[in-house]
Amino acid sequence: MLGLARGLLSGAIVSGTPLLYATLGELISERAGIVNLGLEGVMLVGAVVGFITCVSTGSATLAVTAAALAGALFNMIFAFLVISRRANPLASGLALMFCGVGLSALLGAPYIGSQIGGLPEISIPGLADLPLLGPALFAHDALVYLAAPVATLLWWVLFFTRWGLSLRAVGENPVAAFAAGRNPHRIQYQALVVAGILGGLAGAHLSVGVAKAWAEWMTAGRGFIAVALVIFSKWHPLRAIAGAFLFGGAISLQLQMQALGVPISAFLLDMLPYVLSLVVLAIWGGARRHAAPGSLGRVFQGTE
Amino acid sequence: MTAPPESARLAIAWRAGRARLASVAAPAGLALVVFAGVLLAFGKNPIKAYVDIFSSTLGSPYGFSETLVKMTPLVLTAVAVAVPAKIWLINVGGEGQLYIGAIFATWGALTFGHLPGWLLLPLMVALGFLGGGLWGLVSGLLRAKGWVSETISTLLMNYVAILLLNYVVFGPWKDPEGVNYPQTAEFAPAAMLPVLGQSRVHLGLALGLVAVGLFAFFVSRTRWGLEMRAIGGNADAARRNGIPVGRYVVGLMFIGGGLAGLAGMCEVSAIQGRLRPSLSPGYGYTGFLISWMAGGHPLGILGAAFLLAVVTAGGDILQMTQALPGAVVNILMAVILFVILGRRPGER
Amino acid sequence: MSLTLIRTARTVLSVLAAFMVVLVAGHAAEAQALKIGILHIGSMADGGYNQAHAEGIQAMKRNLPGVEIIEVENVPEGADAERVMENMVKQGAKLIVAASFGYLEPALRVAAKYPDVKFFHPGGYKRAPNLTTYWASTPEAFYLMGMAAGKTTKTNKLGYVVALPISFFLANINAFELGARSVNPKAETRVVFTGTFLDPAKEATAANALLDQGVDVLGVIVDSPITVVQTAEKRNAYSVGYHSLGAQKFAPKGWIGGIAFTWGNLYTRFARQVTEGAFKSENILGGLADDYLTLAPFGASVPADAVALVNTRKQEFIAGTTHVFAGPLKDNRGVERVKTGAFFPLTDLGKMDWLVEGVIGQPR
Repeated sequence: MLGLARGLLSGAIVSGTPLLYATLGELISERAGIVNLGLEGVMLVGAVVGFITCVSTGSATLAVTAAALAGALFNMIFAFLVISRRANPLASGLALMFCGVGLSALLGAPYIGSQIGGLPEISIPGLADLPLLGPALFAHDALVYLAAPVATLLWWVLFFTRWGLSLRAVGENPVAAFAAGRNPHRIQYQALVVAGILGGLAGAHLSVGVAKAWAEWMTAGRGFIAVALVIFSKWHPLRAIAGAFLFGGAISLQLQMQALGVPISAFLLDMLPYVLSLVVLAIWGGARRHAAPGSLGRVFQGTE
Repeated sequence: MTAPPESARLAIAWRAGRARLASVAAPAGLALVVFAGVLLAFGKNPIKAYVDIFSSTLGSPYGFSETLVKMTPLVLTAVAVAVPAKIWLINVGGEGQLYIGAIFATWGALTFGHLPGWLLLPLMVALGFLGGGLWGLVSGLLRAKGWVSETISTLLMNYVAILLLNYVVFGPWKDPEGVNYPQTAEFAPAAMLPVLGQSRVHLGLALGLVAVGLFAFFVSRTRWGLEMRAIGGNADAARRNGIPVGRYVVGLMFIGGGLAGLAGMCEVSAIQGRLRPSLSPGYGYTGFLISWMAGGHPLGILGAAFLLAVVTAGGDILQMTQALPGAVVNILMAVILFVILGRRPGER
Repeated sequence: MSLTLIRTARTVLSVLAAFMVVLVAGHAAEAQALKIGILHIGSMADGGYNQAHAEGIQAMKRNLPGVEIIEVENVPEGADAERVMENMVKQGAKLIVAASFGYLEPALRVAAKYPDVKFFHPGGYKRAPNLTTYWASTPEAFYLMGMAAGKTTKTNKLGYVVALPISFFLANINAFELGARSVNPKAETRVVFTGTFLDPAKEATAANALLDQGVDVLGVIVDSPITVVQTAEKRNAYSVGYHSLGAQKFAPKGWIGGIAFTWGNLYTRFARQVTEGAFKSENILGGLADDYLTLAPFGASVPADAVALVNTRKQEFIAGTTHVFAGPLKDNRGVERVKTGAFFPLTDLGKMDWLVEGVIGQPR
C-alpha cells in the first residue's frame, strides 16, 4: 500500500512536470489573448534539440538551455503569423504542430538510439531520507524541482508586476490596452517568447529527463492536454500546478494499477485521465463564467 | 439607384478576379519555392520531386482515383467542422467522432451481416451517423449548458474514443478466427460499400459530395440556415429575437459529429473491411485544417480537401522516388499552410 | 461568389498550374537490376522493430550489389499501404516486403493484381501464390530468457512493459514466466501494457511503476527497448532486451540477455529466390535454430550455472524434445488451458489470448 502511494506520488510528479511546463506556456499565451494549438510542435522541437545537444555536448544544462531557446524561436513562427499577419490562431497552431512534428522527426532521426546521461537525479540531503514520502518527493531532477517555483514565479509576474498587468490587459481587450498606451503586439510577442521557452522546457524534460531517449512524436498529445489543463486551471498558474499533477497522477495511476494486477482492462484504465478531466471540468463549469481572458471570446465562450 | 446591368457586374467581377489571381498565385508559388528550398537542403531535385508528385497523383487515371479515395474522408471531416463552425463552435473532435461512427457501423455489420446489401448498407450509414452524432452531442450538451467549452470536450473525447475502439477490438469483438490480433471479423461482402469500376473510389465520395451540397443548400436557402447565420453574427441578438441558440448548439454538434461518424463508417466499410485500431491517420484534425483553410465555404472545402489529398499522397511518392524521410510531408503541409495563413494581414 | 471561395479556388488552381508548368515528360529509364520495395509502419530509425527490417534490407543489399531499394516509412495500414505498394510496383519493384502485420490485406489485394511481383509479409496468416509469410517464433527464446531471469532475480518478481495484449506478445510473456518458473518456482511476472508501440515517457513511467512493486528484472516488448532498459539500469535492476542487440550497451551492469531479429540473410535468400525464378509461396516459421532469430550474449550478472542450463534447454528446443507450452497449464484466472501430456503448438500462437498462472496482468 505504501509502495503504491510512494509510486503514485513519484509517478504523478514525474508525469506531471512536463505537463506543468506546457500548461504554463499555453497559459501565458492565452492570457495574452492567443490560443496556441501548436504547443505540441514547440514541445517536440524542444525535446529534439535538447536531446541532440545532450548527445553532442554531454551537458544536460546546455541541453535544457538549448531546448528553451529552440522552443522560443520556433514559437516565433506562430507569433509572426498570428500577431503580425493576423492569421487564424487555431489553424496556425495546427500548422505549427505539423511543422514541429516533421522538423523534429527529421532532426532527430540520426539520433534515435543514442544514449545520454540526461538530467541527473538530485536527492535533497536530509529531506530525501524522510520516512514514507522522502524518496518520492525529494529525489528528482532539477526541472522537476523548478516546476512549481516557475509556476509561482509566473503567478507573481502575472498579477504583481506591471508587465503582467499589461499582458492581462492585452488579453482582456487589446484595443483598450492600446488606448491606454500599451503596445499589444510587442507584449504578445514577449508572451509568446516566454510560452516558447516553457514549451521547450516541457519537451526537454520529456526527452532528457524522463525518457532519456528520442522517438518521433514522443509528446503523444501532451501539448493538447495542456490546452485542456489551462482551462481546467481557470488560467491561473497556481491552480495549474494542481491540475498538471492531478493529470500526471491519473496517467501514473493507471499504470500502477496494472502493475498491481487490478483486474480492469488497460484501455479502460487509460481513459481515466481524460474522463476525470471532463468530469471535473463539467462540475466546475458553472463557476467559470467569466474566467477566460476576454479577447479569447469566441474561442472559449464556455457559457450560454 | 438601380442595380448595374448583369453584364457590367460580370465584367467587374472578372477584372477583379484576374487581379486577385495574380495576388494568390504569388503565395502558392512561394510555398512551392520554400519547399523546393527544403528539398535542395536535403540534396534532392525539387523539379523532379514536383513532377513525381504531379504524375503520381494527377497524371494517370489510377493516380487520380487514388487522390479521390484519399480525399473522401477529408471532405466529410471538413464539413463536420464547418457545420458547427457556422455558429462559431469549434469542433476538433472529428477524430473521436469518426471512431465512434466506425464502432457503431461495425456493430451493424457484425450483427446484421446476413442481411442483403441494400438493407445493410443504409443501416450502417445510419448507424455511423448516429454514433458520431451522439459523440458530438455530448460536447454540444456540455457547451449548451455552459459547463465545458466544446473545443476542450471534443479534444478530450478523441482520446476516449480511440481507447474505446481498442477496448472492443481487443476484447468483446475480437475476431475469433484471426490470430488474436486486435481486429474484428471480416465484414460480409454485403457490408462493403460498392466501388467504382476497377478503382477504389467508393460510395463514400458520393456521401461526401451530398453532404457538401446539403450543407451549402441549408445554409443559404433555408430558414435554419438564416438562423444559424444570425447566431453566428451575434448570438445575443439572435437569442433576444427568439432563436433557440441552445438547440442549435446541440443540433449542429450532433450533425457535425454525425458527418465525421460517416467518415468512420466509410473507412471500415469501404477501405478496411473490418474494425481495427489506428483507423484514422489524423483525418479529424486534417479536416479541421481544411475547413479553416476554406473559411467554412462548401466549394472551398472540396478544393482544399483535394489539395491536401494531393499533398499527402505526394509525400509518399517523395519517400519512394527521392528517398526522403516520411516526416518531410508534414513539413510540406506546414509550409503550404504557413504561406496561406500568412498571406495578407487582417484576414481571418 | 464569396471571397473565400474565389481565393481558395484560385489557390488550388494556381498550385496545380504551377505543377503543370514544371511538368517534364517521361521518367528515367528503368534499371535492369532487381528493384525491391519495403514499407514500414513506423520510423526506420526506431532502434527496434522497424529498424530490424530496415537493417535486414541493407544487409541484403550488401550481399547483392546492384539491387535497388525503394523504402517508405510511416505508412498507415489501410488504403495508404495499398497505394504505396501499387506505386512501388509501378516503379518496377519485383519484390515487396510489407513489414507490418496490418499490411496483410492490402498486400493480398495488390498481389492479386500483379502475379509476377512477389510479396513477403512478416507475421501473416493468409497466403497467396505470390505472397509468402514468415516469422521467427520467439516463445522458445523468451523461455530461455525467463530461465536466466529466474536464476538472477533477487526478489523473485519479474516485470514486463508491453505495448499491447496481442497474442504473440502474450505467448512471449507466458513463455518467459514458464521459463522462470522452471528454475525458480517462486518467480512471478507482472505485466503493464502501455497501449501503444512507442511512447518513451509512458514506458519509463510504466517501468518505474513495476520497479515500485519490487520487480528487479524488467523485460520489454515495444518498438524500441532503450527506455525501459535504461530505466532499469538507473534503478539497479536487471533487464532483458528485445528487437535490438545494441540495447546491451545501455545496461552494462544489469543486462541479462536479449532477443533480436536479424533478417539480413533471410532477405538475401528471398531476393535470390526472385532473381533465380525459384520463388514458391510458403509460410516460414523459424526459431532458435535459424539465423534470423539471434540471442544476445548473456550479461555478467547471470550465474554460470544458469547459462549452462539455458544452453542445454536451447538444444532440447531445437531438437524438438521439449515443448515450451507443455501441459498441464492453467491461466491466471484458474482456467485449465493445456491438459497434462499435451502441449500448445507454436503454430497456433495466434489463438493464445490468456496469461499463464504466475503472470499478473490482464490479457484483454
